[in-house]
Amino acid sequence: MPVLVRKTLRDYRRAIIGWTIGICAFAGLYTSFFPQMAANPDFYSQAAQAKYPEGVRKLMGGLENFTTGVGFLQAVIYQLFVPLLFTMCAVILGTKALAGPEEARTLELTLTLPLDRKRLVLERFAALAAGLLAVAVLSLAVIAVLGAMVDLNVPFGRMLAAHTGLYLLVLFFGTLTLAVGAATGRRALAMAVAGAYAVAGYVVHALAADVEAMKWLSHLSPFHYYMEGNPLVNGFQVGDCLVLLAATAVLALTAVLSFDRRDVGV
Amino acid sequence: MTAVVETEGLTKFYGKRRGLEDLTLQIRPGEVFGYLGPNGAGKTTTLRMLLDVIRPTRGTVRVLGSDPRDASIRRRIGYLPGELALEGREKAGEYLRFLAGVRGGVAAGRVEGLAERLEADLSVTMGKLSKGNKQKVGLIQAFMHEPELLILDEPTSGLDPLVQQEFLAMVREARAAGGTVLMSSHVLAEVEHVSDRVGIVRSGRLVAVEDVVALREKAVRRVEFHFDAPVPEEAFRDLPGVRDLKVEGASVSCTIDGRPDALVKAAARFTVVHMVSAEPDLEEIFLTYYSEDVQHARAGA
Repeated sequence: MPVLVRKTLRDYRRAIIGWTIGICAFAGLYTSFFPQMAANPDFYSQAAQAKYPEGVRKLMGGLENFTTGVGFLQAVIYQLFVPLLFTMCAVILGTKALAGPEEARTLELTLTLPLDRKRLVLERFAALAAGLLAVAVLSLAVIAVLGAMVDLNVPFGRMLAAHTGLYLLVLFFGTLTLAVGAATGRRALAMAVAGAYAVAGYVVHALAADVEAMKWLSHLSPFHYYMEGNPLVNGFQVGDCLVLLAATAVLALTAVLSFDRRDVGV
Repeated sequence: MTAVVETEGLTKFYGKRRGLEDLTLQIRPGEVFGYLGPNGAGKTTTLRMLLDVIRPTRGTVRVLGSDPRDASIRRRIGYLPGELALEGREKAGEYLRFLAGVRGGVAAGRVEGLAERLEADLSVTMGKLSKGNKQKVGLIQAFMHEPELLILDEPTSGLDPLVQQEFLAMVREARAAGGTVLMSSHVLAEVEHVSDRVGIVRSGRLVAVEDVVALREKAVRRVEFHFDAPVPEEAFRDLPGVRDLKVEGASVSCTIDGRPDALVKAAARFTVVHMVSAEPDLEEIFLTYYSEDVQHARAGA
């Protein structure tokens, strides 16, 4: 592993451990509720329908059939909360890549190492991707193991497909944060852009089911490519994955080129 | 022999604000060059351009014969940033090992040796280092790979006087080993004992480059003599180089310009109880030699 990737991962270590624990605890806790819900399908369905007004339910993905294993996983894990937490994790790691150290002025010494700036950005990106992959693998393991224990009856291949989409989604937002930070050196701006895009993307995608005007707009939302193909039911969605991956690659390239041509820490 | 650092018409604007304008300067191999000026004069701007942290608006710069964009030359440079920031839970020693691993060329025991000389504790996590200790870690990383060129931005800031002496000894050793040193300061006194030449920068312009010996002769010093009895003013009036003369009873104070010889001889005719000679202050050199007003006044006189 290149020395800067290793060093960056070492710097991320606490954040990665913390977010992994948080995401796994959330996913594990909710997965463990499944037997109760499966035992009383009518009660919990109705409770869920009654608890949230329709608009909120739409944002949460409908909550229609979450007493089956697949419906439950989709509604409770893959619809909103886990992507939300994981995106926050990715954005925070994304700010730590360049903009954070630049504002803290610790980037200056790193920059004066005999490393090309392009390589610096690429290695930071590689560390971001590796760190997020670690969180993804561990959270997938927790969901798969607990899912088997509570008889979710969702094949591992489907979970893997959904989790791959999730990973690519958060990698996109992490890379967006990294890219805005690389281009501007401003941490708050990078977080704001990524956060606003995530929220807007989510809302647009959720409303696109009903609102005609949102349909074309939802093609600009990463959530469209994350959820539209419903990988938990249909398996791997290669096309959607490639769109997310391509967008990430474009952002990473933008980060490399923009960081290479600007003044740092002014 | 070609210059180690060579700039021509080097200019940096931050938007409309001038950072540095039209700097043409050569640093020769094997010299210690003191780069002086008040805060905000453009010293840090210059040094950061040499490391390719920021890019020139105009002009050319070559370091060790290459464009600073060539990352490989940075292996041969030791750099101490002016605003050194070290953070995190990593121990200072681990961080130095990381830097050494990327740069290469750090002899075994070198880091420990430098730490001992500067009395730096490398087992402390970086976020908890005091300002002085951060500066020490910064110096260690700049010196540890025994680079051909040291670029040090305000290296003595935050160091206590004993450590400053040790640092100056390290600079002399680097020069003796054939290295070149470019260091900035806003206080002449900090660099004059090791520098061969000094450059003075003010409001983004290089106003003078001088040999240290020549500069010291030009320097203005404030001198006070206290005698055992009142002295006549005439004895000190019109001495060469003496200005702002003030005689009050048994004490005489003045500023002197250049050699203090005549003043000392005049004072020697009386019994001197006490004498104070303040180190020449850079600010006063500016005022006497490089301020336009003074130059106008001189031209007029």
